[in-house]
Amino acid sequence: MDIGTFDKTNNKIDSIVVFFYVCLIFIGFISISSATSVVNQKLYNLSPIAVKQLIWIAGAFIIVLSIIFSNIVVIDYFAYGFYAIAIALNIAVLFLGKEISGAKSWFGYGGIGIQPSEFAKIATALALAKFLGTYGIRFQGFKNIFICFVIFLVPFAIILIQNDTGSALVFLAFFLVLYREGLPGFILLSAAWFLILSILRIMSEASGISSFYGYGILLGLASMIVLFFRKDKGIVKITILVAVLSSLFYTVVGTTYQQVLQPYQRDRIELILGLKEDNKGVGFNLQQSKIAIGAGEFWGRGYMQGSQTKMGFVPAQHTDFIFDTIGEEWGFVGTLIFLLIFFGMILRIVILAERQSTVFGRVFGYSLSCVLFIHLLINIGMTIGLTPVIGIPLPFVSYGGSSLWAFTLFLFIFLRVDQVRK
Amino acid sequence: METRKNRQYVYIALFLLIFLVYTFRIARIQLGPVPYKKMAINNALNKITLYPSRSNIFDRKGKLMVYSTQMYDLSIFPHQITTLDTGLLCSILEIDFPRVRFLLHDATIRSNKRQKNNSFNKSATFYSNLTNGQFALLRENIYRLKGFFIESRTDRQFSTISASHALGYLGETKEPNAEIDDYYQAGDLLGITGIERYYEKQIRGIKGVKTVWQDRTYAERGVVKDTQFNYPSVAGPDVTSSLDIDLQEYGRLLLNGKRGSVVAIEPKTGEILAFINNPDYDQNTMIGKERSTTFRALLLDPQKPLYNRAVKGTYPPGSTFKTVMALIGMQEGVLNATTTHGCGGGYRLGSITVGCHAHGGPLDLRGSIRISCNSYYCQVFRDIIDNPKYGDIKLGYAALEKHLRSFGLGKQLGIDLLGESKGNIPSVGQLNRRHGERWKSSTIISLSIGQGEILLTPLQICNVAAILANRGWYYAPHLVKKIEGYADTGWDRKYKIRQFTTIHPLHFATIIDGMSDVTKPGGTANGTGIADIEICAKTGTAQNPHGKDHSIFMAFAPKDNPKIAIAVIVENGGFGATWAAPIANLMIEKYIHPELTTSKPEMEERIKTSVIK
Repeated sequence: MDIGTFDKTNNKIDSIVVFFYVCLIFIGFISISSATSVVNQKLYNLSPIAVKQLIWIAGAFIIVLSIIFSNIVVIDYFAYGFYAIAIALNIAVLFLGKEISGAKSWFGYGGIGIQPSEFAKIATALALAKFLGTYGIRFQGFKNIFICFVIFLVPFAIILIQNDTGSALVFLAFFLVLYREGLPGFILLSAAWFLILSILRIMSEASGISSFYGYGILLGLASMIVLFFRKDKGIVKITILVAVLSSLFYTVVGTTYQQVLQPYQRDRIELILGLKEDNKGVGFNLQQSKIAIGAGEFWGRGYMQGSQTKMGFVPAQHTDFIFDTIGEEWGFVGTLIFLLIFFGMILRIVILAERQSTVFGRVFGYSLSCVLFIHLLINIGMTIGLTPVIGIPLPFVSYGGSSLWAFTLFLFIFLRVDQVRK
Repeated sequence: METRKNRQYVYIALFLLIFLVYTFRIARIQLGPVPYKKMAINNALNKITLYPSRSNIFDRKGKLMVYSTQMYDLSIFPHQITTLDTGLLCSILEIDFPRVRFLLHDATIRSNKRQKNNSFNKSATFYSNLTNGQFALLRENIYRLKGFFIESRTDRQFSTISASHALGYLGETKEPNAEIDDYYQAGDLLGITGIERYYEKQIRGIKGVKTVWQDRTYAERGVVKDTQFNYPSVAGPDVTSSLDIDLQEYGRLLLNGKRGSVVAIEPKTGEILAFINNPDYDQNTMIGKERSTTFRALLLDPQKPLYNRAVKGTYPPGSTFKTVMALIGMQEGVLNATTTHGCGGGYRLGSITVGCHAHGGPLDLRGSIRISCNSYYCQVFRDIIDNPKYGDIKLGYAALEKHLRSFGLGKQLGIDLLGESKGNIPSVGQLNRRHGERWKSSTIISLSIGQGEILLTPLQICNVAAILANRGWYYAPHLVKKIEGYADTGWDRKYKIRQFTTIHPLHFATIIDGMSDVTKPGGTANGTGIADIEICAKTGTAQNPHGKDHSIFMAFAPKDNPKIAIAVIVENGGFGATWAAPIANLMIEKYIHPELTTSKPEMEERIKTSVIK
């Protein structure tokens, strides 16, 4: 690749994504401001946290400007370097970081903290894009596929060691990315299949339904398929294989659930699956979160009127549970608009990634899109009780400098890459 | 490569699918049937009760009898307590460690109950009625006791201790008191007896509410700016009682050492001027911390200090009943002023003898009252119920009973106190059951002199005196004259209805003449009268199967334009003239000449200092 080609471009930064970005930053700021305000506070009287967020936003603006006016598109030359630095920082934080709510994932300097795992996402995306974008390398052969997995499973493992499960899980988004590059669909499908199987097994365990029904259904399904495709030897073989594997897996999940998991872990799982009503202990946060969103009803309770979030009934109301403030104060109308903006942005990024002329650009774009998607899936899912309560921020919206800056960097590097596409 | 380009649609489909699932899920939460908004409001609002002070109660001359004082409770938000300086709490409240644990546990249960009822107020009283010393110490140290706060409310203070049975005492409600209404929370004070109870709804005032935002840790986060949630308490209105506190205290003094009751009524209004029982109790021991212990002690006291004799105690009225019997005889036409009946020291009828004390010659009606001749009234009684115009003795008796009931006897008079006794006027049916179907006037002859099945409360006896004073009518006796601001609410409607007896007013003159002789030479209460006041009275002695007879005296004064009607009962006091008459007459003097010292200091001294056991 020639540096010269990047400079001669007439394209513009994608204004749709920028528009969505500004919307999200704005929604985030007013929601943080409301969630951290005191009762009967004047609108212009910002809470200290809102003021800090304003500073982070100003910083993000500087980042945007410097990306736009710099030649940062040559980033792919330094991709591996950045990746190495990010890995090093994430290892360093294990020894030098300070522990915040059980996770050792922050560098603290006085009152300001930096979370290197946030930046590891960009570095991983860059490294993966760089590797797959390298001339002659394709997502084929054991060696290449292995390297791809290593690129994102290393930071995944390190961050897991930091005890920051939420941030680590986000790296599984790269599985999704690799599908576009040729990862066979059946791997993702079987992952989904086994997930469904385990949920079913846990549900039947928790409700005391005999596991024989499960085996019976599996056997029934398999025999029907075999009977239907009895002429096609291939399908019959696969079906039998899948049925046997599924039955084994089904057994393992049941045994694990009953004999390996601790009661509190079972509680947590059953709570997520809606098999248990618990409004005091484990379920308190989830219940309060649902109350907050539900209290919004159609039109919302009005800006700064959300008592659930303002009074601290919702945990982490300005960070991980910021969506509750939106739901409580702006109601169904507000949440719908918000989801349209966010999903709109993710879909737009897929379209942009698809129009890239380079594998680097495409992989990087899909990485951004999938990471944002996983964040959205887990973060909003936990506030409405569809996913486990896992603490990860809502990109661009939750309070916090590391997350905002990292995602701004991620987004605008991609927009610059998109801008200079051939 | 190009085939994989189609894989973008898998991404787009996945993203859209999640978008739809999440949107539906959110719609179900926000637009579904679960009342999340109500739950959110219940979470974050705390209603703090502002306790009004109860009414001040004044006597008829405007002297303060009962007022409210501030008292302080230590309350808690149980869930806010994470660490507890038990030592500090123990030393301030002077209680031990297990006691703290117990109180904490108890308050937590009450608080949880409130949460379950979706009450806004999640606090609970931990320790009520702090002493001044405890209050001062706690106010300084409250910041060290997370979750604790001081709540103020009002309690009672009595400036007289002589009117305990009229004014009544307060008690704490245990549960929301559905018996009255849902106004109360556990621990609230409400009137249990007396005026405090009867007028509870007026006297309690109106609770106010301060609603505040409260966060998850129950810390206050500012006042809710909405008048629906915030309104001040309204103190109970000033209540003016009909009691004359000077008369009340004087009567209480005279009744010292004796068991009995004094009731005095202003005849022309039915207002009760004095309402005294002995034994009674000191209301100032029935407030604050000591309330429950005092109450328990009083309840177990064999002297029954809580027993309100004046409206619950029933006594045979004895000879005081002769006045009523005479009036009925005249109304029935079997008796007139000139009717004379002889008495040979008693009334004999077959095997029955009703004894009479020695007195000279046949008596006319006036004389029969003065002397209180038993024989005379046996005759009158027989004339009434054996009256040939009825043909049947039971019809004759029914006529008598109807007249008696028109005096407010055998039924509640409607005083503004709970638990008033009806007394007893036997009905024909009751007599049938008691004596068999075939009773005769001789069988029930003791009714003629106020003995037998006839039972009256001291209040009813006093009311008879008021009827005599009014020559034939009365207002239902009552203790409260006025409630400030309640003039048009009709609370006193039943005290504004003049109730007439079945006796013609003209018949009263002779009886009253006779009553005016009672305290004069030749009368049964000679020597107890007051020089310049014409007192109309009747003595009585109620036979007491359990011991010495009860001394009864009923009077009104002055004869013309009466200002006071009074009834005195001294249990086991013997003849009416011995104890009851002096007490009544001294009180009449005190009421009519409040500014003078008594004209009978020796009598006053004797009464005050004597003890009847």
